[in-house]
Amino acid sequence: MATPVVKTVGLKKTYMLGKVPVNALCGVNFKVDQGDFLTILGPSGSGKSTLLNMIGALDKPTQGQVLINGVDVSTLNDNQLADLRRSIGFVFQFFNLIPRLSARGNVELPLAIAGVNKAERRKRAEQLLTSVGLKDRMNHKPAELSGGERQRVAIARALANSPNFLLMDEPTGNIDSKTAKEIIGLIKKLNQEDGVTIIMITHDEKLANQAKRIMMMLDGAIVKEVDL
Amino acid sequence: MKVGDVFSYAFGAIRLRKLRAGLTTLGIVIGIAAIVALLAISQGLQVTITDQLQSGFATDTLVVSPGRGGEFSGLGGGFGGGGSDFSLLVTDTSIINQIDDVVTSTPILQKLCIIQSGDQAVTTYVVGVDFEVYSEMYSSTFVAGSGEISFSPDAGAVFGQRVSDPYQNGTIVATVGDAVEIVWTNTTVRPPENVTYSVAVDAVLEEIGGLSIVSPSDSVVYIPISQAQTFFGTDECDRIIVQLSSEDAETIDAVTQAIEEAFGDQVSVSSSTAILNIISSVFSTIELFLAGIAAISLLVAGIGIMNIMIVSLMERTREIGILKALGMKSRSVLAIFISEAIIVGLLGAVLGVGLGWLLANVAATVFTGGGIAAATGQAAASSGFAITPVLTPTVLLGALGFGVVVSVIFAIYPAWRASKLKPVEALRYE
Repeated sequence: MATPVVKTVGLKKTYMLGKVPVNALCGVNFKVDQGDFLTILGPSGSGKSTLLNMIGALDKPTQGQVLINGVDVSTLNDNQLADLRRSIGFVFQFFNLIPRLSARGNVELPLAIAGVNKAERRKRAEQLLTSVGLKDRMNHKPAELSGGERQRVAIARALANSPNFLLMDEPTGNIDSKTAKEIIGLIKKLNQEDGVTIIMITHDEKLANQAKRIMMMLDGAIVKEVDL
Repeated sequence: MKVGDVFSYAFGAIRLRKLRAGLTTLGIVIGIAAIVALLAISQGLQVTITDQLQSGFATDTLVVSPGRGGEFSGLGGGFGGGGSDFSLLVTDTSIINQIDDVVTSTPILQKLCIIQSGDQAVTTYVVGVDFEVYSEMYSSTFVAGSGEISFSPDAGAVFGQRVSDPYQNGTIVATVGDAVEIVWTNTTVRPPENVTYSVAVDAVLEEIGGLSIVSPSDSVVYIPISQAQTFFGTDECDRIIVQLSSEDAETIDAVTQAIEEAFGDQVSVSSSTAILNIISSVFSTIELFLAGIAAISLLVAGIGIMNIMIVSLMERTREIGILKALGMKSRSVLAIFISEAIIVGLLGAVLGVGLGWLLANVAATVFTGGGIAAATGQAAASSGFAITPVLTPTVLLGALGFGVVVSVIFAIYPAWRASKLKPVEALRYE
C-alpha cells in the first residue's frame, strides 16, 4: 500500500491563552491518500485551523506525530521544514498576497524562493495564471483585483512548485457566494482533472459536500467521518 | 533563493517606502559626507603645509634653540624651553662654527613690532640675522626682488614681499628707498616703554610663498643682527640656524650631539626632517579626531537604520509569515533584510562621498579666497596659501566600506529577529 500523503498519529496541541491552557487538539488520527479531496468541517474553535497549521509544518505539535509522505515533521530542523513547506501549497482565507507584487510576481515568488531561474519562473507563472482564468490580469496588483481574482492568484501561487498537496483554509470565506462557486469549481477541477490532493477547511456544509470525504471536528477531536 | 532574487526583492521593498528609505539614506549621506569633507580638507592642508615647508626649509640645516623643551622648542620660539634660564647668545655662533661638518651659522633675534610708514602701520616680526650668512644659506629665497641686500653692518632693512604689499592689491606700505619707523614695546621694564628705530628700506624680497619657521618669509622685516642687538638691547638670540656640509642622517646626528654637548645639554637641536615628522604626526592625530567626530554622526545614522528596520519588521511580520509559509529559509529572510541595509548603506555612502567632496571643494575655495587674510584684518601673518582637497583611494574606499558596514551592523539585530519569526505566529499577526 502506498504511503499516505498526510498521516497524523495521536496529534495533540495545547497552547496558552494568557494563563489558561487550551487543548486545541486532543488526539487526532487521520490520513489522506494521494488524489484525495478532504474537507474538514467544524465550527470556529473546533481546532481545524490548528490542525491545518500542523499539517502545513507551520507549527509543531505538543504531542503525537505528523507524517508527511512518511516523514515525521518533528524530526526536521528549520531548513528542512522550509524545504518541506515548498512541497505544500497553501491557500489562505485572507489571500495573503504580497501587495507590492503583481499577480505574476506573487505566483513567481515561491518559484524564486525555490531558486528557479527568471525565464522559467515567468513561463510557469503565466501558464498557471492562464489556467486559473487570469490571463489578462497578470500585471495587476492585488489591490486592483476582486476578491475572487485574488483567491485565484493565491491558488496559482500555491500550485507554483507542483506541491504534494494543497492546504486550503476557508478559501471562499472572504468572497461572495457567486465567486465562491467559481472558486470551488476550480478546486474540484484541480482535484479531478489534475489529480491534486486537497485538504480544505470550511464551516460551510454545502461547500464541504463538494469533496470526496468530510471530516467533522468539534472541540479538538474528530467526531465524524463521511465518504461521499 | 538566489542572491540576485534576494537583492531584487529587497530593492522592491525599499522602493515601496521611498520617503522612509530616503530619510534613512540621508543619515548615512550626512555621516559619510562629513568624514570625507573633513579628511579631504585636512589632508589637503597637510600637503600644502608640507610642500611649503619643504620648499623653504633646507634639509641640510639645523635649528638650535635654548632650553631642553624637546623638539617643539625649535619651533617659532614660543612653544617650549620654559623653566630654563639658559640663554643662547648671538656670539654662540663662534662655538658652533668650530664643530666639524658645520659650514656656517647665523643667530636669529626676532620681536613683534609695528612698522610705520606714513599713515600706514603693519604689525609683524622684525628679525635680526646675519645677512651674509642668511643669503648664503637661502640663496634661492633670500633674494631681493627690488633694491639690493647690503652685507655692511649699517645696512638698511629688507622687507618681505607681504609686508611691503600686505593686501596684495598694490597698496604699498613701504618699498625700496622709503624710510620707515619700527616701534617695539619693551615690556621688560616698568612701565613698558616704546622704542623707535628709523631705518631705510634697502630691498624687498621676491615673493617666496610657503609657510616659514626658520627660512625666509614673505611676512617679516629683516635687519642686520648687530642693529637688532642695539635696538632690542639684548645679546640673547631666539635661535641659531646651522648650515651643515651634508644632509645625511649621520652628519645630522653627529652635529646635533656635538652642539648639545657644547652647550651642556642646555639647548635643543631640531632638523627639518624631525619637524616634518612632527607635523605629519600632528595631522594624523587631527585627522583621527575629525574622523571620530564625523563617525558620531554615522553612529546616529546607524541607530536610525536600526529604528526604522524594527518598525518595518513590525509592519512586515505578516509578509515574513507568508514568505516562510511559501518555504523561504530563515537565512533568506535574514539576507533580504541585510540586503536592504546594504542597498541603503551603499547608496548613502556613494552620495555621501560625492557630497563630501563637493563640500571640501567649497570650503577650500572659501578658505583660499582670502578668507583668512580678510578675517585677520592686518595682513601681518597671511602667507596666502591655497588648499587643494585631497581624496585618497584609501579615504574613498574606506568611506564607502564604512557606510555599508555601519548600516549592516545596525541591521543585524532587526534582520535576525525577522528571520526568527515563527511562521504561524507571523501569519496570525494583524
